[in-house]
Amino acid sequence: MSNAIHLRLASRAAFVALAVAGAYAKDAPPGSIDQSAIVLSASELRAAEEFEARVRDYRALREKVEATLPKLPKRATPEQVDANQRALGALIKNARAGAKRGEYLAPDMQALVKRILAAVLSGPDGKTIKASIMDENPGVPDLSVNDRYPDAIPLSTMPPQVLKALPKLEEELEYRFVGERLVLMDAHAHIIIDFTDDVLP
Amino acid sequence: MIPMHRRIVTAVVVALIVSGCRVGVPVTAGPAAVQAPQSPAEAAVPLPNKKGSLKFVVLGDFGTGGRGQYDLAAQMARFHEGFKFGVGILVGDNLYGAERPQDFKVKFEVPYKPLLDAGVKFNAALGNHDAREQRYYKLFNMNGELYYSFKAPNESVRFFMLDSTYPVPEQIDWLETELKGSNDAWKIAVFHHPLYSSGGRHGSDLKLREVLEPLFVQYNVSVVFTGHDHVYERIKPQQGIVHFVVGSGGQLALGDIDKSSALTAKGFDTEQTFLAVEISGDKMYFNAISKEGRVVDSGVIERRMPAGKTQ
Repeated sequence: MSNAIHLRLASRAAFVALAVAGAYAKDAPPGSIDQSAIVLSASELRAAEEFEARVRDYRALREKVEATLPKLPKRATPEQVDANQRALGALIKNARAGAKRGEYLAPDMQALVKRILAAVLSGPDGKTIKASIMDENPGVPDLSVNDRYPDAIPLSTMPPQVLKALPKLEEELEYRFVGERLVLMDAHAHIIIDFTDDVLP
Repeated sequence: MIPMHRRIVTAVVVALIVSGCRVGVPVTAGPAAVQAPQSPAEAAVPLPNKKGSLKFVVLGDFGTGGRGQYDLAAQMARFHEGFKFGVGILVGDNLYGAERPQDFKVKFEVPYKPLLDAGVKFNAALGNHDAREQRYYKLFNMNGELYYSFKAPNESVRFFMLDSTYPVPEQIDWLETELKGSNDAWKIAVFHHPLYSSGGRHGSDLKLREVLEPLFVQYNVSVVFTGHDHVYERIKPQQGIVHFVVGSGGQLALGDIDKSSALTAKGFDTEQTFLAVEISGDKMYFNAISKEGRVVDSGVIERRMPAGKTQ
């Protein structure tokens, strides 16, 4: 790696670190999270950028299939909401036929997520944050990519400190915990895009 | 004309019932004051039922489709006959379990039909049991937004409806901008997860409090309505803000309030309950009303004033 590239990556990593640390400084009492532990290394930064690129690709695909459906009004009947959601879910499943685990949350991204969550949860407030995540979060034995998010399972609460630490998502995609799994879901289509196991320390 | 001795008794009761609130103002009922049947053990502060005031109800954790929800909904309809509230504030967990079109009917449209028919407009926030698509449901008036604010139809009141299950940084930034830009006398925050609660099942959400409370304090939010714990609880004022947990609109966690909690100003965990509220000028009157029609809590709150201003 040339010195110039190394320097550029290092400065971008430092920028991300400052942005994240600055955000925490605004919201959390000093010392509640070890800010130095959530600094991204150059390789983690690359993993995050590649993940964000894959998420942008998903958004493009989603917009393409959604454009084939009648637009859902902002003040709809339950029948319209249900029909739109199920039709969109079917189109996404079809467009992603053969999708496999790890396509979005790839191994390097899984490692990043686990390390970030370990850092966030290892601080003095870690127990409180984990309790918030696990509140009404019993988990389910089986999940599959492209399946509908289980209707009977409440959505896990995502503490603001966790959302701030994880790479940003495109609109309509959300992170949720199901048990100790991190799920990437399409919130409107109600479809599981990807997931990874045992992310919580 | 209300006899003098009754006025004095009322004032004393107000001071006792709402001790801990920034209150203490004598309250007298107007000729059209409304009161549900009372608990024999505790006199209630009546809602003044003034012409031109803002009248609304708060309801949470209700969408079970079960008997408890239906009985409370019937009580709300009876109460509406004497107290014509025009707004219903929903603090989340609007539908439990499946959310097929028929579930919207059984868990919302049927039980609240008398109120919907009477023109009551509901505004919802989402809870952890609510699918995100509820934001498009026309009767929840969210207009496709997961978080939003709206101005009340009368009085200087703005509600800030938040999504506490997924508080992304963008939402927190939005909230700060909205609060900063609001000149409304009353700023009221509504969301699902309580910043303060003595409920044994969930309790206070400390990490959410860390992010939201500084904004509420800085920008003069006066009252916060939440749910999640399936009880009714009014919290002693925290940093000048009165928090309510109104999470027993259908669900009920019998006996779930921690009786040793220092947070509780008033708690009720033996029946489903809704909260009826009236804002008139700088005062907010409230009655918590149980499924059986008893007023289980009542009082008056004065709005917070911007720093440097006094009433």
